[in-house]
Amino acid sequence: MNLSDSKMKLLIAGLGCGVIAAVLAYMGNPANMAFCIACFIRDMAGSLGFHQAAVVQYARPEIIGLVLGAFIISILTGEYRSSGGSAPMIRFILGVIIMIGSLIFLGCPLRMVLRMSAGDLNAWIALIGFAAGAGTGAFALKSGFSLGRAYETKQGSGFVLPAMMVGVLILLVCTPLLKFSESGPGSVHAPIIMSLIGGLLFGMFAQKSRLCFAGGIRDAVLMRNFDLLIPLGGLFAVMLVYNIAMGKFVLAMNTPGIIAHSDSLWNVLGMYTVGFAAVLAGGCPLRQLILAGQGSSDSAVTVLGMFFGAALCHNLGLASSGTAMNAETGELVAGAVTPNGKVACIICIVICFIIAFANKRKQS
Amino acid sequence: MRKKEMKLVVTFHTTADAMATERVCKSADMPGRLIPVPRTLSAGCGMSWCTDEALEEQLTALLDANQIEREGIFHCEI
Repeated sequence: MNLSDSKMKLLIAGLGCGVIAAVLAYMGNPANMAFCIACFIRDMAGSLGFHQAAVVQYARPEIIGLVLGAFIISILTGEYRSSGGSAPMIRFILGVIIMIGSLIFLGCPLRMVLRMSAGDLNAWIALIGFAAGAGTGAFALKSGFSLGRAYETKQGSGFVLPAMMVGVLILLVCTPLLKFSESGPGSVHAPIIMSLIGGLLFGMFAQKSRLCFAGGIRDAVLMRNFDLLIPLGGLFAVMLVYNIAMGKFVLAMNTPGIIAHSDSLWNVLGMYTVGFAAVLAGGCPLRQLILAGQGSSDSAVTVLGMFFGAALCHNLGLASSGTAMNAETGELVAGAVTPNGKVACIICIVICFIIAFANKRKQS
Repeated sequence: MRKKEMKLVVTFHTTADAMATERVCKSADMPGRLIPVPRTLSAGCGMSWCTDEALEEQLTALLDANQIEREGIFHCEI
């Protein structure tokens, strides 16, 4: 079934993704983090020992499911194509940058939409930065930016990331080797089987509908085509209804317990970084996982860059902290962006501009 | 709802090639527009150039003259 040949089907795909996110939130995933690619990759990096932040370590089955869902559906529909060779190291750097920007804001574009649907005004402010970043990336494309074409590769090359995900799943289910948070966001999750099924279905919907947050804005800017924004509307609508029905909709900025901070400038700049880097890399964090699942080694390298970026964020103190209630004193402790994080964010934006305007299509 | 009609769709290896096609077609006064690659053609999310079927020869000549590499040329309902 083609989920992108009509606007109605795109909306259905978005609604389907929204229902999956709502079910996972209901089944126990952290508040407003029902499905966050950046946070979940960060948790998985922690579980594999890439960083030692004890509160964010869990091999999220959703990430495994996303890659395998896209892999399975693309194999079944004959759309699997092993490709690679389009500036892999630049894509690795873009993956690192995407993760740093996400962990300064505290969420990927998908979580930004989920936070928006829960009334988090910080996420609405961050949307300005994300749209501006994606717009800057679109301007770079208009100016001739290109990382060069990808080429067909040996079939096995595209199998590597899905195989690694199967390996992590086996380690998670059958061994005690992986690290596992005993408190904090990493300890809060839906049952493994629900997370895995949710990830598989989400991955299949996303592969068929080509769901992409950065691509939606890129297409709107460059082609006045709003099709890719339709599923995002569906996802937002379902989560809005869920949050209102569950009493989780709070229109505010300084809300404790939702893993967010209220530093507007850095919310905007963090998501500006993500939007810019995602357009240069050819897709948002979710889309990178899906493309990797359907055989793109270039996207798989970007995903590895995100893992590396997650480790950097927690090893070097770049990740922001969320507003929380002190359990002993009952005082509200405001979340904050670290000085290291601010420096890293500025460096990331500068690198994005260098990549965007130093890699031009060869003129005839 | 807009009625679908047969069109010529050219796909490219890179977005930059699609953008370059838009530039050369505009300067050559050749009609057409950038569209997302139709889902029936690819699972990728790049851009393609859509124009009248009758312009196939002119368009391919223009792309060749400007050394713009194309991935494929398709006739499909848009």
